[in-house]
Order: sequence, then structure tokens, then C-alpha cells
Amino acid sequence: MRRLLGVLAIALVIGFGLLTLIGLLTGRDSGIVYDATMFFLQITAITLGVAVLIGLLNLYNVHIRRVVTRGRGLGYSIVLLVAASLVLILWLTGQDASNRALLETVQVALESALGGLVFFALVYGAYRLMRRGVTVSGIVFTIVLLIVLLGALPGQRGDTMITSVRAWLLSVPVSAGERGLLLGIALATVVTGVRVLAGQDRNLRD
Amino acid sequence: MDTTTRTLTIVILVVAFVALAVLTQFARRRRAAYPLRMIAAYEAIPLLIGESIESARPFHVSFGSAGIGGLRTALALASAEMVVQTARRAAISPTAPLITGSDASFLPLAGGALLRGYAARGRADRVSPTSLRWIPALNGSSGSLAFAAALTGMIGVERVSGSILVGTYGAEIALVLDAATRGGRAVVAGSDNLVGQAVAYGMATTPLIGEEMFVAGAYLGDDAGTLAGAVATDTLRWLLVGGMIAAISFVIASRLAGG
Repeated sequence: MRRLLGVLAIALVIGFGLLTLIGLLTGRDSGIVYDATMFFLQITAITLGVAVLIGLLNLYNVHIRRVVTRGRGLGYSIVLLVAASLVLILWLTGQDASNRALLETVQVALESALGGLVFFALVYGAYRLMRRGVTVSGIVFTIVLLIVLLGALPGQRGDTMITSVRAWLLSVPVSAGERGLLLGIALATVVTGVRVLAGQDRNLRD
Repeated sequence: MDTTTRTLTIVILVVAFVALAVLTQFARRRRAAYPLRMIAAYEAIPLLIGESIESARPFHVSFGSAGIGGLRTALALASAEMVVQTARRAAISPTAPLITGSDASFLPLAGGALLRGYAARGRADRVSPTSLRWIPALNGSSGSLAFAAALTGMIGVERVSGSILVGTYGAEIALVLDAATRGGRAVVAGSDNLVGQAVAYGMATTPLIGEEMFVAGAYLGDDAGTLAGAVATDTLRWLLVGGMIAAISFVIASRLAGG
């Protein structure tokens, strides 16, 4: 029975996947196939909406358990449960303005503060890179980082050597590396997609 | 979509499909015929899991803001494969791994992957639903500071022994890496976002770079399909390099011929 369900899942994925691919490739020219593709995409969006509900249940499950068992981080869990419940109650009672105010005054402010911390974490990370071990790639990384940072300092008049080197670094090696990385990720994404369409993905087979 | 893009897309898909179909058959018969290049992160992951088992502390795998149903579906599938492989190795541990993500759609995917990993060792009954942690966050184009801050706290509270971060992260990954390194925890990290990738390269104990995030199954598992996937990616890369060299040579030759 389990095997049969597995085969059915693979058949569904391959069928719907190929139809969606054809619909997206051919566009409106394919008529009914394109309409079917749009319908599948709408179903996907609805399914993803349900995933948020599953996420909410997961959130409550994890933190209520921690409160009940008085586990480590009990205080954080209580704050989280109170905050999540408050936002839910505000949403259910239709008080969108209060919800937005909470978001703007609490979350946005906290994220801005964290943004400042990221800077210090990055500086400390760069310092520690050389402490971990002096390697050729580490030296190159640090030198490039310093040149890019120095070249971006305000108050430099005209083209100095640092700004020229920075501009060259950004337009040639950085750009080349960036494209290489993105092409690598794109190729791996294509192969992963094709594996799903061919029914080879482990999530379907097992 | 214009005709050229459409034709190129079809050609790439067909080439990938043919390469995958042929290589899977060969990989099934002669796995040893495809030696994989050494990737430091995949050498480090078994040690990280071993340390977790010995210290009876959980290790942590994170999807970042990758999830299914969007542009990062393939990356989410790659993260799920990482969960399968690591869970398979950690199934004998008294503590279950922690799997986190900020896109709620990762939950069913990660749950299935965790179950498959444990089931492979006959321990499916030991999977706990609290191993999965959805950390809701406002995801920007790369990631979320709130998510990174929550991970930073969780690493300390749960006494995590080490982390594997495979997904979408921006510069905020620095917060997680900084907290982990201060606590002497090993971190393997990679991101499909360039800023996150640069930070991971500089700050992670062992970085995963670009497409290396997609080959966990080939390096940590023994499945012919995932091995064929890794070899197909390499084959496509060589074809791309060949195509680029041919195109550049053609342009240079036409310029020279034209005077």
C-alpha cells in the first residue's frame, strides 16, 4: 500500500510538474495548458497559506512544552507566547492599526538595533579570520576587504590609487566571482528541478 | 518569455535530463567510477555529528529563509537532503537534532526528511515534533535579522554542539556565526545570497560554497541518484565552460577576420 502511494505521489509530481513547466514555457499561446498552470500555482499559494497555520501550531507546541516542563529559556518562551497571542487577538478583533504600531515600534526598532550589531560582528569576524590561521586565501580576503573599505571612505577627492583599485576589484574579480557563484547555484538548481521532474528526488521516492 | 530564452531553457533542461538519466544508470552499476572532489565541509559534518552524539547535545540544521513554492524551492530540497543525511547519522544519539527555518513551508519538508533519516536506522518512533522550530520573521530579499537573533539565542539556550546552516542568509548570518564561534561551536555554513556567502566564507568554521550546498546526498549518503545529480552538475558546468570558450573564440576570430 505504501509503495502504491509512493508511485502515485511520483506520478502526480511528474504530471503536474511537466504541465506547469510546459504552461510557463509556452505562455498564453498554449491556451488551456496555461490556464491549468495558473490554477496549479493558485493551489500552491493556498497550500503555502496552510503551512503558516502548521507553523503557528509548531510555535505554540514547542514553547508551551517548554513552559510546562520548565525547560531552559522559560522566560523567552513566556514572552514569545504572550506576544504571539497578543498579535493574534489584535488580528482577530480587527485592530490592524494596533498590530501595525506593534510591528513598527517593537520589531522594526529591534531589527534596526540588530543591524548595528551585525557591523561589529563582521569587524570581529574579519579580525578573527587571521587569528584562526594565516593562509594565502585569508590574506587575500583581508587585503581585498581593507581596500574595498578604504576606497569607500568619504572625503576622497578625485581618482586616488585606492579608489581605482577598488573600482577594478569590484568590476573585474568580484563581478567574475559573483557570476561564477550564481551560475554554479543556477546549474545545481536546474539539476535539482530535473531530478524532481524525473521522480528521482528522495522526498518522493522514500 | 521570448523565443531565444524559451529555446535556451528547453535545451538546458533536455541536456540536464539526458545527463541525469545516463549518469544515474552508470552510477548504479559502478559507483567507484565517479570519484568526488574533496569538500572540507562534508569532511567536517560527520565529526560535528560525532561530537554531538558524544556530548549528548543536539546539533542544529537551518534552512534560513529557504522554503518550498518559491524561487528557493531547490535550495530547500537541498537543505532537506542535508537533514536526511545528518539525521541518519545522528539517529543513535540520545538527543534529537534541531531543525529551524523562517519560511513556514519548510516544516512539512523538514519533518518528512527527519522522519526518513531516523526511519533509515529503524528509529522513526524517536522523532520528536519539537525538533522542528519555525522562527517566524519578516523575510527580506536575503534573510531576516529577527531570525538570526532568534538563532543566536537558541544556540545558547539549547546548548547546541554545532550548526549546519544551508539556505538563504544575508549579512545577518554574522550574528549567528559570531555567537557560535564565541561558544567554541563548529559551524558549516553556505548561502545562495552573495553577501551571506561572503560572510560565511570569512566567519564559518568550514564554509560551503555555491553549488556545494546541493550535493549532501552524494557526499554523505550512498544513493546513486544523488551521486548522478552531483556529476550531472559538474558535467553541465564543463559544457558551460566549453560553450563560453567557444563563444569567446568565435568573437575573437570574427574580429581578427574582419580586420
